[in-house]
Amino acid sequence: MLFLENIRLALSSLKANKMRSLLTMLGIIIGIASVIAIMTVGNSLTASMNDSMLSMGANNVDVYLMTKETEDEVTEEGHTFKADSGNPSIEDEDLISKEMIDNYVETYPEEIMAISVSEQVGGGSISIDKKTASVTLQGESAGYFAANNVKLLAGRAFTAQEMEDGRMLGIISSKASDKLFESYEDAVGQTVSVSMDSKDIAVTVIGVYEDTSAATGVISISFDFLNSASVLHIPFKAARSLTHSEGYSHFSVVTKPGVNPDDFAAKTKSFFKSYYKHNRKLDVDAMSMASLVETMSGMLDKITTAISVIAGIALLVGGIGVMNIMLVSITERTREIGTRKALGAPNSSIRTQFIVEAVIICLIGGMIGVSLGLGLGSLAAKLMQTPASPSLKSILGSLFFSMGIGIFFGYYPANKAAKMDPIEALRYE
Amino acid sequence: MAEEKEKCIELTGIVKKYFIGTENELVALNNVNIDIYKGEFVAVVGASGSGKSTLMNIIGALDRPTEGGYILDGIDVAKADDDELSEIRNKKIGFVFQTYNLIAKTNALKNVEMPMLYAGVPGKKRVERAQELLKLVGMGDRMKHLPEELSGGQKQRVAIARAMSNDPSIILADEPTGALDSKTGRLVMDIFHKLHDEQGKTVILITHSPELAEETERIISLKDGQITGIRQGAGRPKETAKETKQDQPEQPAETSEGNEE
Repeated sequence: MLFLENIRLALSSLKANKMRSLLTMLGIIIGIASVIAIMTVGNSLTASMNDSMLSMGANNVDVYLMTKETEDEVTEEGHTFKADSGNPSIEDEDLISKEMIDNYVETYPEEIMAISVSEQVGGGSISIDKKTASVTLQGESAGYFAANNVKLLAGRAFTAQEMEDGRMLGIISSKASDKLFESYEDAVGQTVSVSMDSKDIAVTVIGVYEDTSAATGVISISFDFLNSASVLHIPFKAARSLTHSEGYSHFSVVTKPGVNPDDFAAKTKSFFKSYYKHNRKLDVDAMSMASLVETMSGMLDKITTAISVIAGIALLVGGIGVMNIMLVSITERTREIGTRKALGAPNSSIRTQFIVEAVIICLIGGMIGVSLGLGLGSLAAKLMQTPASPSLKSILGSLFFSMGIGIFFGYYPANKAAKMDPIEALRYE
Repeated sequence: MAEEKEKCIELTGIVKKYFIGTENELVALNNVNIDIYKGEFVAVVGASGSGKSTLMNIIGALDRPTEGGYILDGIDVAKADDDELSEIRNKKIGFVFQTYNLIAKTNALKNVEMPMLYAGVPGKKRVERAQELLKLVGMGDRMKHLPEELSGGQKQRVAIARAMSNDPSIILADEPTGALDSKTGRLVMDIFHKLHDEQGKTVILITHSPELAEETERIISLKDGQITGIRQGAGRPKETAKETKQDQPEQPAETSEGNEE
C-alpha cells in the first residue's frame, strides 16, 4: 500500500520535472538500447548462421588450399570458400589433383560417404525479353547436392550419365527463376543464354532449387549486398570444359554417420600434408562445419562482448547521472522530507520513497531503451536480410539490470534523505 | 479543574544544550518543568531566542533533551530511539506549522491522508477519515485542490486537518497564524477552539503574540531558556465563540506567503 503510494509519488515527481527526468534517463536509454539492439542482431545472425551451416551438413569437412604459414600471410582470406579464382599465384600443378582425392577416398573408406567438389566459372547474367537475373555459374560434382541438402522445387537433378557427359544443363535458383519465368515449371526445359565477359553460354534448365540465401548467414549476406547473384548449378565436367583447369583448390567431404568431423578433419589435414611437404607456397587445411560455426559464433561473441562493455560504460555514466539528479531532488525537497518526518515517517519510509523514485527513473529509461533497441535491432536485421530474433531473456535481464542500477545509485541519496535531521530539514529554505 | 485531569505531558528538569563541550556551548533550555493535562489549551510565549522553538521540538518528539525526563501519555520519550520517536510523532502529536508545510503537487485529500499512510491505515478508511476531517475544517469543497491553488488560510486549515488525521492526543501549533492576516488568523484560531471545546483535544500553541496567548487557558512564559511565569488565560473570546460558520468562501487575495520566514 505504501509501496504503491511511493510509485505514485515517484511518477508525479517525474512529471513535474519532465525534461530533467528525460535527460537523466538518457544514459540508461542509450546503454540498454545498444545492448538490446546488439543482442537482437547477434541472435538472429547466430541463429541463421547455424541454420545455414548445419543445413549444408553438420558432418561436412571442408578441405581447401591455403598459403603456408611461413610466408606470414595467413589471414582469414585463407578460409575463403571456392577461392580458386581468387589467388592468381596458384599454378595448376599446385592444385589438389584427382589422384590425391582418389587416394584419399581409398585410404578412408570407413569415414567418407561422398566427396563434393565445386568449380566456379564466374558471374554472368541471363536476359529474357526485358527481364534480367545475375547468376554465378558453378560446376558441381555428384556429391554436392547431398553435401548441401539442396532441395528441388521443380524439375530433376543431374543424372550420372549427364554428369559423366558434362552437358550444359543447369539447375537454376528459385530467385532467378522468379525474376525470369512465370513459374518454376515454366523454367524447366528452357534454354537460357548466360552472357559472361566475352562469351555467351547456352544452358538448358532442367530443375529449380530452393534458394535459402535470404535467410542464411554472413557469407551469403555479403553476396546479397553486392549483387543479388544466385548460383546456377551445372555439371562439374561442363564447368571444367569452360575453365580448362585441372585439379581442385577446394572440396567438401560428407562423412559417414558416427564419424567425428573434428577428428576426421585433423586426419585429412595430415593426409594431405605429405603431398604438400615440399610445396613452398601452399598447404592444405581441413575444417569441419561444426568448428567453422564455432569460430564464427566465437567472433560474434567477441563483438557482442565489446559492445556490451561500451553499453556497460553508458549504463555506469547513466547511473551516476541518476545519483546526481536524486541528490539535487533531495536537496530541493528538504522541507518536504522534514515535514514527512515530523508527521511520523520513519527513516525507512523516506529511504524507500527515494529508492523507488530512482528505480522508476531507471525502469522507465530501461523500457524506452528496450523499445528503441528492439527497433534498431529489427531495422539492422532487416537490412542484413535476417529475421530479427529478440531474446526475451535479454529484455527481462535489461529491465532487471536497470532496476538494479536504480537501487544501487539511488541508495546513497535516499539514505542521505533518510538520515536528515527533521529539525534542520524543517528549517531549510 | 485542570488539576483533576490526568497528565498528558510531564516535563521534568529538561535541559537542552548545543555545541556540548565546545567554547560556545549554548544552553537553550535550563531546568524546565511543565505538566500539561489532557484537554488543556496551553500557550507557550516568549521572544525569539527564549527557547520556545527548542521546547516545541522536544515536546514534538523531534529532538531529545540533553538531560531530564519527558513522559507523553505514559511513554518515556526521552529514552526513545529514532523509530519510536517517528511513531510518537505519527500517532500522538499533530503538527501545525507557521508555513503550513503541505506537500507540493499533492492535493489536499492526499496531504491529509499522509500521516495515516505512515500509520498503516487501510486505503478506504484513510480516504473516509480525510474527507471527514476536511469537512470539519470547512475545506470539504476543495479536497482535490493542490496547495498552490489554495490561499494561506485554506492551506492552514488543510494542515490542521492533516494534524488531526491519526487522532493524536496533542496538537502542537507553532505560530499557526504567523503568516496570515488577522481575519484568517481568527478563522484558524476558531478551529483550534472548536477542536479543544468539542473534541477535547490538548492544544499547545506556541506564539509570540500576547493577544493570541490570552485566548488560551494557561500561559507559560519563557525567557532565556527558563520558565518565568505560568498564569491563567482569559479563554476563548465570547464574541467569536458563537460563530461557527467557517465555510464562507475566502478571497484568494488574502494569502500573505511573502511573510514566510
